[in-house]
Amino acid sequence: MKKSDDLQKKWTPYLYVLPAFFLILLLIVYPVVTSLSLSLKNKVTSHFTLDNYHYFFTDQVQLGNIGYTLFVAVMTVILALLLGFMLALYIRFNNNSLSKTVVALTVLPQFIPGLVAVYSIMLVVRNGGVLSRIAQSLGFTFNPNLMYSANGLIMVNLWFNIPFAALLLLASLANVRQASIESARDIGADKWTVLFKIILPATYKQFFIAGAFVFMTNVGSFTTPFLMGGNNPQMLGVVLYKEFNQYLDYNKAAALSVILFLLCSLSAIVYVIVNLRQEKWR
Amino acid sequence: MSRKKLILNFLVLFIFAFFMYGPLLNTLMLAFANKYQAPHVLPLSFGFTWWQNVFAQSDLLQAFFNSFLVATLSTFFSMLICLPAAYAIARYHFKGRSLFLFSFLLSNAFPKIGLYTAIGIIFYKMQLMGTLTGVVLINILNTMIFMIWIPTGAFQNVYRQQEEAARDVGAGPLRTFFTITFPSALPAIVVAAMYTFLGALDESQGTLLIGFPQVKTMATAMYGIILDQAPMVGAIFALLLVLPAILILWLCYKFFGKKSFLQQLFIK
Repeated sequence: MKKSDDLQKKWTPYLYVLPAFFLILLLIVYPVVTSLSLSLKNKVTSHFTLDNYHYFFTDQVQLGNIGYTLFVAVMTVILALLLGFMLALYIRFNNNSLSKTVVALTVLPQFIPGLVAVYSIMLVVRNGGVLSRIAQSLGFTFNPNLMYSANGLIMVNLWFNIPFAALLLLASLANVRQASIESARDIGADKWTVLFKIILPATYKQFFIAGAFVFMTNVGSFTTPFLMGGNNPQMLGVVLYKEFNQYLDYNKAAALSVILFLLCSLSAIVYVIVNLRQEKWR
Repeated sequence: MSRKKLILNFLVLFIFAFFMYGPLLNTLMLAFANKYQAPHVLPLSFGFTWWQNVFAQSDLLQAFFNSFLVATLSTFFSMLICLPAAYAIARYHFKGRSLFLFSFLLSNAFPKIGLYTAIGIIFYKMQLMGTLTGVVLINILNTMIFMIWIPTGAFQNVYRQQEEAARDVGAGPLRTFFTITFPSALPAIVVAAMYTFLGALDESQGTLLIGFPQVKTMATAMYGIILDQAPMVGAIFALLLVLPAILILWLCYKFFGKKSFLQQLFIK
């Protein structure tokens, strides 16, 4: 009796995690491994080949798409971190009712469905949209030309990522002690010295973490470029969707998925390195 | 604060609020417009003409129904699959625990569109493309991170002594779970369920790739509406997509009270 009880206890946790783990195997491990193997096969003969990768790294159009995707993602990371940090600094160092309102304004957008946000911004910025109409009623013609352009995509990405970056950075700003800032100010440090000597050293790890997340979501973004992006160049997410859904070329689609995974693992590596260094310091 | 600084503060905030909320308010206004013609910034007349148009399109009503079906099924099965795993991770120290925990984070380590395509290739073989099962599976995968992380934290905070006391007076493991553990962790589970439900309601990419055109939800119908229909139809649909989020947030607000509600939101 005692023995079977022990045995039961030993296996109970495995029984509990099994359904969830099975789902991970079925929906992540198995598909990713299959994609990897498909990407290395010829579409017709199923023999080993690197052609599917070769195509994406030699074809002029596809190279343009890769460069465009990286440009949009990197610009989004830089601007979202910069503006998000400014927002976080504002919230952290102004303790009044206004800054509390700003926190609420920053938290809420995560509950707005992505499609609704993209569509709402499109209605404002497209040629003939709200901005054009305002200009027209003031008596001049103005076309923002933000649809089908990198600037428009980056702007929408910022809508999603500034609040996200701000909230992550705000969490790390909580570690900056008011006392250390005040004592620095007392011995004559100016604003910039406080920023570079006290605030940034305490928060820079969170910058890398937030940046890694923002990069990852934007490299693989689909909805915004599908609705707002042009046909040439295209973001890789849209290229992948078309490869899969319109051209039905699963081998190329698989290769592009793997390329996207590799691009994202760049940011995962940053994330891991930053976390490991943090462990060492302790 | 000096006057100049105060004005500057307000200006910066105004620009931020305008950038974040201006477009949403414009869409809200358009949902009740009857006539919205080119040079005019404001609609020429308001009313419900376009609402009649939307409710007359039967496939849009079907999409509305499908959305709630998918969200409900996803939330239910996600709880069924993830809560035991969360409990095991919170309560037991077993070999491979951190490996399992790590595996549950994996879905967020891949770009979504790449993962959906990889899953799509498998689903073709398994004949799950265009099926409700396929779409629900995608949604469970997407929301696993909430359903495992948030409840794990909550289960860890339930006092073990309380559970042991219940066992000592003769309650079985199931009874202990449902009378002691579950009620204490309930707020966190409700929040996780809220995120899962709203996440499934908003999910568009995976459903478009796996379910379209057989399983059409409000979110996937929105793609077509944005590309081909009048702004008013899109605005009404946008409002219908946002309303459940507002309603559920409001219910949670009532349920938790103001302070702990805001704390719960920051978990994410």
